[in-house]
Amino acid sequence: MESFETSSAHYWNPFSYWGIDNPYLLINKELLINTWITMGVLIALVFIVRFFFYRKNSLVRFMLIAFLEAFMDLTQQTLGSFSYYPFSVVVCLFTFILMCNWISLIPYVEEPTKYLNTTLALAIVAFFYKEYITIKNVGIGGYLKEFLQPFFIMLPINIIGHFSKIVSMSFRLFGNIFGGAIITSIYMGALAGSIALETLGLISGLNIVITSFFVIFEGFIQAFVFAMLTLTYLAIAMQTSHEGMVD
Amino acid sequence: MITQEFLLHYGNIGFIVGTTSLGAGIGAGLASYSAVKAISRAPSSQQDISKALFIGLALIETAAILTLVVALLLLSPQVHVIMEGSIARAGIACALGFTGLLIGILSAFPVQQAVYAIARQPFFSTHILNLMLLTQSIIQTPVIFAFLISLIISFQASSVTNMPNALRLLCSGLCIGLGSLGPSIGLGLFAQQACKGLGFNRLSYNNILPFTFISQAIIETPIIFSLLISLVIISLPLAPTENPATLIALVAAAVCMGFGTLGPGIASGKTAAQACKTIAEHPEHYSLISKASMLGQGLIDSSAGYALLIALLLIIFR
Repeated sequence: MESFETSSAHYWNPFSYWGIDNPYLLINKELLINTWITMGVLIALVFIVRFFFYRKNSLVRFMLIAFLEAFMDLTQQTLGSFSYYPFSVVVCLFTFILMCNWISLIPYVEEPTKYLNTTLALAIVAFFYKEYITIKNVGIGGYLKEFLQPFFIMLPINIIGHFSKIVSMSFRLFGNIFGGAIITSIYMGALAGSIALETLGLISGLNIVITSFFVIFEGFIQAFVFAMLTLTYLAIAMQTSHEGMVD
Repeated sequence: MITQEFLLHYGNIGFIVGTTSLGAGIGAGLASYSAVKAISRAPSSQQDISKALFIGLALIETAAILTLVVALLLLSPQVHVIMEGSIARAGIACALGFTGLLIGILSAFPVQQAVYAIARQPFFSTHILNLMLLTQSIIQTPVIFAFLISLIISFQASSVTNMPNALRLLCSGLCIGLGSLGPSIGLGLFAQQACKGLGFNRLSYNNILPFTFISQAIIETPIIFSLLISLVIISLPLAPTENPATLIALVAAAVCMGFGTLGPGIASGKTAAQACKTIAEHPEHYSLISKASMLGQGLIDSSAGYALLIALLLIIFR
């Protein structure tokens, strides 16, 4: 772990002036800049899409409508009925994670999701939104009562099961993207030695195959899995309020 | 002159390449056998079937290719072979050997069912191919995790000079290797049933596709727990004169997490496979079936969560 992280990442201590030297307060500069680039690309994309959206019969308009309709159908299928706020949260998470995974197609930019900090933050956002929906639907008493189901002895077990969702969601995204990034970097490092190998990789199309599998395909799958898991947890949270139990 | 460290070092390399090639060979054989059988059932859809077979064969070999990369790294002349380093590299053999063997065989299951499904529904082959590609590439996740841990082990093993640190690297490899066995079987069973269900009822495609994403993500949750424990074990700094009880605690944590995922992985896969079969029969009840399956899998995965808790406690109070 350390051999990978300390060699590549540069840390900045914002409190060094006051003499505070806590390792948990350090800021990863590369991660910060890569996240800003991702957000800049997303904001630019929003303006471009908005410009073309108000023109009749433009391709961008059809693509955006198809994208949103697919997600609306998915929300309706999973939740049982369409609901606007879960839909917008899930689409937002999906778009951001997808852009984070695909940003490494730009040279010299790395995926922000390669670091555990980003994925943990995303998982915590998704988890607490789910908690908020549960509390809003069943009230704080009903929420606490769920931990005692079916017997009060199950309390510690339920608590572990509850918080392991954050671990599984964040580590799934982190592990897949980090693994893919390392495999692509090893491949590129193996080619970097000689010009003959580099041209061979370009001409034979192996570069395109490896990039399209590990960056485009894997990145899309992981972003979609994250969004779908959030949607399913939201569906379970909403369903307990209406029916009480699954029959 | 044959010394023990050289025997162990080259034994590791031979073991990982041998087991993953065995797995990929069995998997490729199963897939080709099914493709020939499917062509004999529907000779006119021979082009679609062979297309699915070639994509499937390329993905079956992922584990073997990744292992080849690790073996080449280990064979490079810069690697200085000493006893401690060889014991640490046995962790790579545990991590990639077990996982590669199983994944090679299991990633042939969706190809088998997909070619039968194409023989059954030749005009629906694009969607069947999509589902096969999706399920098969999610099955490769354990191999990618094991590869990640193996690389970290191989980088750290070159600077290991004492026994406790060598055992620490071995433990982390053992944890991810054992931990990915059960969930891999679960993923394979589910993928098989998903492709079979699509061949049974093509109208269920819009329901099976999102269900596949969620179910495979939940089935592989135990692997992520063992990845977490592996990463925790690998980043522990140990003194050269460490108490032997600490090392026993680390081995116990690795074995606990490894065997703790075996049952939940298979059980969760079987639950999801049955739910997928039911969705293929009754697509109109998708919402109800998927929620029931999710709840069941959540409860099954919580028993992997106990193993995670005990493993973490073993590491903290070592």
